[in-house]
Amino acid sequence: MSALPGAGGRGPEAAEHTADDLLISYAAGTVEPVIAWSVEAHLTGCAQCRSVLSAHVDADRLARNRSIILVRVALPETGWARRLLCRFGVPDYLLRLLAATPSLRRSWLLSVVCVLAVAAGEAAVVGHGWNTGPPVGLARQADPAALVPFLLVAPLLVLAGVAAAFLPMFDPAYRLAVAAPFSAFTLLLVRTVSALVVALVPVVAAAFVLPGPGWLPAALLLPSLALSALALAAATVLNPQAAAVTAGVLWVFAALLLAATHVPLLIVRPTAQVACAVVLCASAAMLLVRQNRFEVGWIR
Amino acid sequence: MTIDVRTAAVSVEGLSRRYGAIRALDEVDLTLEHGITGLLGPNGAGKTTLLSILATVNEPDAGRVSVFGLNPRDPAERVEIRRRLGYLPQELGYHRHFTVAAFLDYVAILKEVTDRGRRAEEVARVLAVTGLEARARTRIRALSGGMRQRLGIAQALLGNPDLVILDEPTAGLDPEQRLRFRELLSDLPGAPVILLSTHQADDIAAVCPKVIVLLQGRVRFAGTPAELATAAVGRVWAADERNSRAHLSWRGGDNRWRHIGDHPPAGAELVTPTVEDGYLLVSHAAGAR
Repeated sequence: MSALPGAGGRGPEAAEHTADDLLISYAAGTVEPVIAWSVEAHLTGCAQCRSVLSAHVDADRLARNRSIILVRVALPETGWARRLLCRFGVPDYLLRLLAATPSLRRSWLLSVVCVLAVAAGEAAVVGHGWNTGPPVGLARQADPAALVPFLLVAPLLVLAGVAAAFLPMFDPAYRLAVAAPFSAFTLLLVRTVSALVVALVPVVAAAFVLPGPGWLPAALLLPSLALSALALAAATVLNPQAAAVTAGVLWVFAALLLAATHVPLLIVRPTAQVACAVVLCASAAMLLVRQNRFEVGWIR
Repeated sequence: MTIDVRTAAVSVEGLSRRYGAIRALDEVDLTLEHGITGLLGPNGAGKTTLLSILATVNEPDAGRVSVFGLNPRDPAERVEIRRRLGYLPQELGYHRHFTVAAFLDYVAILKEVTDRGRRAEEVARVLAVTGLEARARTRIRALSGGMRQRLGIAQALLGNPDLVILDEPTAGLDPEQRLRFRELLSDLPGAPVILLSTHQADDIAAVCPKVIVLLQGRVRFAGTPAELATAAVGRVWAADERNSRAHLSWRGGDNRWRHIGDHPPAGAELVTPTVEDGYLLVSHAAGAR
């Protein structure tokens, strides 16, 4: 391999091989990248040089590097969502943290979609009058009572997704997370915001196919967000499970009360939306002020 | 065990913790130096509570804890302790859908190793140390109990911690794996402080220069394993028949009865006590109080 600098050093065919001192430098990782590529190209087809090189390679370093490569191979970065988020600059370690969030797993999302399908299907069938007589088309003026199950369930599903993202009972390795230095509040935010976004997508999508006011999909956002934020804020003063349950019970009570008083769609009116916005802002403020409850809390 | 509290890496004074009516820890005082300290005690002795408080997971009701001069009651100092900590809880839960490598990668992130390259190095290192390299791509749900325990030990070693707290690390390991575990502990670089809780007196005898016996939430013995065994000198007997007057009697593998007590049966011969004998005697004495 006469093209390489310093060629020679092994018998009559020396000019065809890489020089020993170059191989030593290569083994130590101190040669320029361009030279290293040439050496590697030669090594691929030259057993004699590979044999010489092997005597200069640090076996421990080689084993270490092999292990690292195996670990990298064992941590594949597959999935369109992962690639998309990486493209938007989301650090890979945050994606790993998300992988431990139960409400972002396929099985959870499938369950959410199924529950929504049942609730939305019931509302669509009853609301459009498909079960009582000839179809009346896709007119969005329909019996508001048909929407009660959906209005009851949709924000609860969002709350459940958020609760599963922050409740210790859903994290089997919770004690490790507590004993680790990683910011618990950051972990909480990363998981809950992701769970919130992922849960809102099917809820809003389902609202589009329902009878009722045209802006029902958008109107569901504020109650869902407010309910989740309320649960998180309550978790700064209560046991986290009690906080999530309390928020859920409050919603069920409010939704059933509205249904019983024949105004289930009150939630889409501006006054109710403003009320939800107030709850959301107050809860967010409380969460920020009391975030240390998550950072410093020891398990009692 | 004479240790200067001022120079001890970890010191605990008057530590107490109750769970309702149960007093899990009762005015515990102890110090730990660099090296391996074994914590012996039966179920319910307070070992797990003590370890979880030292690991900054649980909060004590009363008492003072100092870890490398840091006070876990101070939020900033508590985070600093966690940066130097490796912890294996007694019942470690796993994200069962994770692979072995992904779980270690996850724990490395929790330990603030966010750089991808460094994480891969750390994961590769602990996989090699615990002999789990070939299992890197195996899902946790497919691992045996012993393998999961090794994975638990592996995660505790991520980041080369200065304080390693292992709660029942040899539970579920077969004899060969236990031997390997002892070797692993002895070879850990950087002379960390290691606190090892176990029921196995032979683990203590094999790897721990120091041993603490915790009974009913109180420290009943602190010293070397040899000193613990010495506590039973002259009080351990071997005989062909059971002795009802002994504190403890059991039949050994040689089909002879081993007695611990002050009243040897006729024809009994005095035997050299083991660490387990010393531990059983201390346990009996504590129970008799």
